[in-house]
Amino acid sequence: MNNSDILVIGAGVAGIEASLLLADTGKKVYLVEKASLTGGNVIKYEDVFSNMECSTCMIAPKQQEVLQSENIELLTLSTVEKVQGEIGDFTVTINKKARYVSLIDCIGCGMCYEPCPVSLKNEFEQNLSEKKAIYVPCPGSLPNVPAIDPEHCLQLNGKKTCNACVEACAFGAINLSDKDEKIEIKVGAIIVASGFDIIDPAGFPQYGYGKYPNVYTAMEAERLYASNGPTEGEITLRKGDAPPKSIAIIQCVGREQQGYCSSVCCMYSLKLAHYLKHKLPDAKIYNFHSDWCMPGKYYQKFHQDVKEEGVDFIYSPVAKIKVEGNDKSLSIEYYNGKNEKEKLSADMVILSLAMMQGKDTASLSKLLGIEQDTKGFFMNQAIQLGSVDTSKPGIFLAGCAEGPKDIQGSITQAEAAVGKVMSYLS
Amino acid sequence: MSDKIGVYVCECGPNIADKVDIKKILAEISALNEPPEKIIIAKKHKLLCSKEGQDFLADEITKNELTHLVIAACSPRDHDITFMNVCKKTDLNPYLYKLVNIREHCAWIIPDKDEATEKAIQYIRAGISRVTYQAPLTEKELDSIPDVLVIGAGIAGIEASLSLAGENRKVYLVEKTSSIGGKVTRFEKILPHQGTNLDIIQEKIQAVQENENIKVFTETEVEKAIGFFGNFEIILKNIHNEEQKNDFKVGAVVVATGFDLTDPEKIPRYGYGKIEDIYTSMEIEESNSKTGKILLKSGKPPKSAALIHCVGREEKGYCSRVCCNYMFKIAQYLKEKIPAIKITEFYQDLCLPNKADQEFFIDTKNKGVDFIRFKDIAVRQKDKEKFIEYTKMDGKKEKISAEMIILAPAIEPAEGSKDIAELLNISLDETGFFQEAHQKLNPVATSIDGVYIIGSAQNPKDISDSIIDAQAVGGKILTQLIPGVKLVPEVTVSEISDAFCTGCQTCLSVCSYGAIYFDEDRNISIVNEAICRGCGNCVASCPSGAAHAKHFTSAQIYQEVLEAIR
Amino acid sequence: MKEQFTPKIVGFLCNWCSYAGADLAGAAKLKIMPSLTVIRVMCSSRIDPNLVLTTLLLGADGILIAGCHPGDCHYEKGNYYARRRFALLKKVIKTLKIDPERLQLSWVSASEGKRYAEVVNQFTEKIKKLGPNPIQTKPYL
Ligand SMILES: Cc1cc2nc3c(=O)[nH]c(=O)nc-3n(C[C@H](O)[C@H](O)[C@H](O)COP(=O)(O)OP(=O)(O)OC[C@H]3O[C@@H](n4cnc5c(N)ncnc54)[C@H](O)[C@@H]3O)c2cc1C
Ligand SMILES: Cc1cc2nc3c(=O)[nH]c(=O)nc-3n(C[C@H](O)[C@H](O)[C@H](O)COP(=O)(O)OP(=O)(O)OC[C@H]3O[C@@H](n4cnc5c(N)ncnc54)[C@H](O)[C@@H]3O)c2cc1C
Ligand code: SF4
Ligand code: SF4
Ligand code: SF4
Ligand code: SF4
Ligand code: SF4
Ligand code: FES
Repeated sequence: MNNSDILVIGAGVAGIEASLLLADTGKKVYLVEKASLTGGNVIKYEDVFSNMECSTCMIAPKQQEVLQSENIELLTLSTVEKVQGEIGDFTVTINKKARYVSLIDCIGCGMCYEPCPVSLKNEFEQNLSEKKAIYVPCPGSLPNVPAIDPEHCLQLNGKKTCNACVEACAFGAINLSDKDEKIEIKVGAIIVASGFDIIDPAGFPQYGYGKYPNVYTAMEAERLYASNGPTEGEITLRKGDAPPKSIAIIQCVGREQQGYCSSVCCMYSLKLAHYLKHKLPDAKIYNFHSDWCMPGKYYQKFHQDVKEEGVDFIYSPVAKIKVEGNDKSLSIEYYNGKNEKEKLSADMVILSLAMMQGKDTASLSKLLGIEQDTKGFFMNQAIQLGSVDTSKPGIFLAGCAEGPKDIQGSITQAEAAVGKVMSYLS
Repeated sequence: MSDKIGVYVCECGPNIADKVDIKKILAEISALNEPPEKIIIAKKHKLLCSKEGQDFLADEITKNELTHLVIAACSPRDHDITFMNVCKKTDLNPYLYKLVNIREHCAWIIPDKDEATEKAIQYIRAGISRVTYQAPLTEKELDSIPDVLVIGAGIAGIEASLSLAGENRKVYLVEKTSSIGGKVTRFEKILPHQGTNLDIIQEKIQAVQENENIKVFTETEVEKAIGFFGNFEIILKNIHNEEQKNDFKVGAVVVATGFDLTDPEKIPRYGYGKIEDIYTSMEIEESNSKTGKILLKSGKPPKSAALIHCVGREEKGYCSRVCCNYMFKIAQYLKEKIPAIKITEFYQDLCLPNKADQEFFIDTKNKGVDFIRFKDIAVRQKDKEKFIEYTKMDGKKEKISAEMIILAPAIEPAEGSKDIAELLNISLDETGFFQEAHQKLNPVATSIDGVYIIGSAQNPKDISDSIIDAQAVGGKILTQLIPGVKLVPEVTVSEISDAFCTGCQTCLSVCSYGAIYFDEDRNISIVNEAICRGCGNCVASCPSGAAHAKHFTSAQIYQEVLEAIR
Repeated sequence: MKEQFTPKIVGFLCNWCSYAGADLAGAAKLKIMPSLTVIRVMCSSRIDPNLVLTTLLLGADGILIAGCHPGDCHYEKGNYYARRRFALLKKVIKTLKIDPERLQLSWVSASEGKRYAEVVNQFTEKIKKLGPNPIQTKPYL
């Protein structure tokens, strides 16, 4: 039996691109996304290198298209639980968590947040701001419909009776008795686009993350700069009243441990330097790097441009860098090009951390019956000259689920996975 | 005939209802009624985008035989499509409806209720004025040809042909040399993450030759390609025999013309062409794959070799992506063949973007290859001995001698890329490679619909990425050019009135998509609706007011302006 | 004349970035002065010089053209054309004895709700200071 419906796992840029192309042909696409919103990591950035195009402007129209497409069934807060069968005839069980807010009835007015008595850390904002138990991760989230965190909602976790959001909603869009669902679907092919995660900085105490408040991850820095972020784009410090006067970006953190180069960190570190020069023209910006990995034809020019903006590039092995200091100021000890020990101080340190396989890669690979490579990402069929094929026919990879790459590479793979699906199913 | 305009104000729950005085709005709008020429029906609804709201609207349109529809609600980005679909269910043309955004542009941003109400009335009046100037538009359907022309039979072109060819789709694969396969057929091994020998490449070449839906033309070039997505007319010519031509039609064109290496002789400091036993990487690959040996000119195996990366990188302004990896490969060739050889690799940066690259580097290093990062480098000869003189990162100047020197010259776009670009009306970017439609979101497409760029013609690429590109173009074309399915071009396009056009061709020069062509006979410019995206740039550029943007005509916009400044 | 002058300002917003930015400002419930009326066009490059001049001659006190940031135009290069036409228009307007400050071109992206609000509010303040458009022509369309 040949089923021509398709399952796409993950609604980042890769999953979105694949879904839209397939939906164009009239095929039914189930787009399963773990989070409450689409867009993956890219929507966290204000701009994307190297054209520095506004990220939202770039992908919001695509996210809208997903919501408006008649052929795409978007399942948010959902994960795949079981997969059986083979190419042309997979049976998939999806665990769809209750959102407690109806995607159809909610119009996204946001009246329900304020009355909610519960405040929580907002992980989407890298914990730099708070959200309520009923929340959208950031302004402009798509779908623009909140979700309720059942663990923290007082009514749902049974700690108290509360009905505040329900009362605030004029549209009857909130239903606190919403239940998790199991959905069984049948598809002919599966595209895995579950993306990446960032390595935990706690594994690198020498750079002081967690110990000193003004050490940040690159992802945190992205949100600090974002005009829809926790500070509306102001570069502020966790500790300190004034904006930082000196900032050190440290690249390649975690590269050695992971055994590969994450391929985009050089470029996004340059982007961060460019951001900071733009917002804080008088601040001193240092960039500690090893070899520059700039594989795109436009990338070296961007490096040149950022250099001319007055960023101080320091070639220094990351393994020998140490960050020390206190709440207020930080000092970076490093070895310069002549292999001499030096020190400089900075108000803020940003760590460009290695990208690693998404948290669910191991469990997904088990239930899909596809392999992981030695680095932890899903294994491609390099020996067959293919990077979107998995060991199992009918299951394909796209985007950072296969390995670190930029948006262009993720999109190309998504289109390639679609090409494969189309040749199998048509 | 009189206009019968339905105006529906959405309460959006409390979002609009609490912030503006809907009663007052309805009263003022109803007062615009001028029967019999202009009949206005003004009503409110709780929630127009809901299922119930949509049914209500559809019912109102039919029941009242509305000629125009104005909805005062939220942003068109949220619900324009919703309400256009409602129109489509009735007899009302969806282009005779206008969504007025009184939520984001009034209710939510103007705290004073009276001010917000006034503003909402102003917007709605503008909507009413505008809508009567709108014209019904209908979607057109165009026949399309599913067949595809692929230019260049390197690994990218080959993979694309295999992905695309099928029962209902022919592929014409054009190659200017006498054989297909491109550069990869000149290597002994392909490394690092693609196994070792060339069997897999040979299999692909054979699959192309055996595929009855792929027609291969070697020693052939494209002479002409005109048309648009779904319908290009192609003429091919044999390179050796100008008279031998082929013509046919295709729906899409894929450019896979690959790369060339920059000529190191142009950068004298490397001594290439002047000093003996300095080779390019490609020369080493070729002689190695032919003879299985890497030897000096004297016929002896080299005792030492220097491999210099990044030759021409500075001049080109970009990193060529593949050189680091293939230089490790060449070092490994040498180590295998001449175990005692001393190898030093000189590099500026090691570019190892693939997850498997770093491992291959470490493996190469562990085989006893030295790596030196340089700032400056030059090759000098002194009494038959060759020296590599270099400045290290710490500023120290050093030199070593080597019997053989192998250069990795920058990858540049294939010779003739410019001609191909002109032929197809696509652009080259500042690096000389073909320019993609969008750097991030649409890398295998170009600004001309139906013309695609793949492989190293777009950007320096390894084999695996070239293959991904080829499969990606498969994804694009197989989903967008389906046999038997008609293409539906953009509806809100521009048009040029022949009465007003003076033939100055200003509009041609501003259109990013080549959507306008010039009719020499009639001395006017004409918009090809199949290509136009409706940006309106040509309209603004036309000195004679001959160009119009459908659904965004000057008359329509003026109606809004007039209400705005009343 | 104690009566407050409420200017009439026309805002041409491109669909893809600036209009989306305005929507975000709305969703964030930012306070924006009501003098500006938004007119949506697909791209800032649609705004022809005629449209701008006529709008001024018809008596608009100010015109804001807002488009995607340079390089971000949905149609590749539209905003560059808009910028060139804008530069030219500034000069033409001066010859009409209209203060060129009445015409403004701003880049607003889809995530810049706050910026949109600031741009509109500042422009409105500026026009308020400039006072009514001296041209008192009657609409002649
Ligand atoms: C700090 C930083 C800055 C960057 N800046 C740039 C830049 O400027 N330009 C550029 O080109 N690239 C940049 N990148 C790289 C870019 O983020 C990636 O190329 C891109 O996000 C890859 O998209 P994706 O769809 O593969 O994965 P993701 O964006 O990670 O999306 C994956 C999606 O899958 C979902 N998901 C995960 N697991 C599951 C599951 N089990 N079930 C269902 N759904 C699941 C996730 O919630 C997510 O929505 C940057 C990376 C970092 C770390
Ligand atoms: C020395 C060296 C070693 C390498 N080793 C490896 C390796 O080990 N592993 C790896 O992954 N990559 C390697 N690469 C990179 C690899 O060569 C490229 O990724 C690959 O060749 C790109 O394929 P392509 O089809 O894009 O281009 P090409 O191989 O250049 O093919 C393009 C084809 O188009 C034809 N053509 C050009 N213009 C026209 C025209 N106007 N009309 C008709 N036909 C035309 C050409 O004749 C050619 O046949 C190496 C590169 C070099 C230089
Ligand atoms: S019911 Fe839960 S989500 Fe709603 S307001 Fe109360 S605590 Fe918050
Ligand atoms: S749930 Fe209700 S109150 Fe909350 S955003 Fe949606 S419609 Fe508004
Ligand atoms: S149509 Fe728009 S304004 Fe009306 S209820 Fe729906 S979202 Fe609100
Ligand atoms: S700019 Fe106007 S007059 Fe000139 S060719 Fe184009 S349409 Fe005709
Ligand atoms: S509207 Fe834009 S795309 Fe269409 S012809 Fe005019 S300039 Fe070209
Ligand atoms: S689309 Fe925004 S300026 Fe062109």
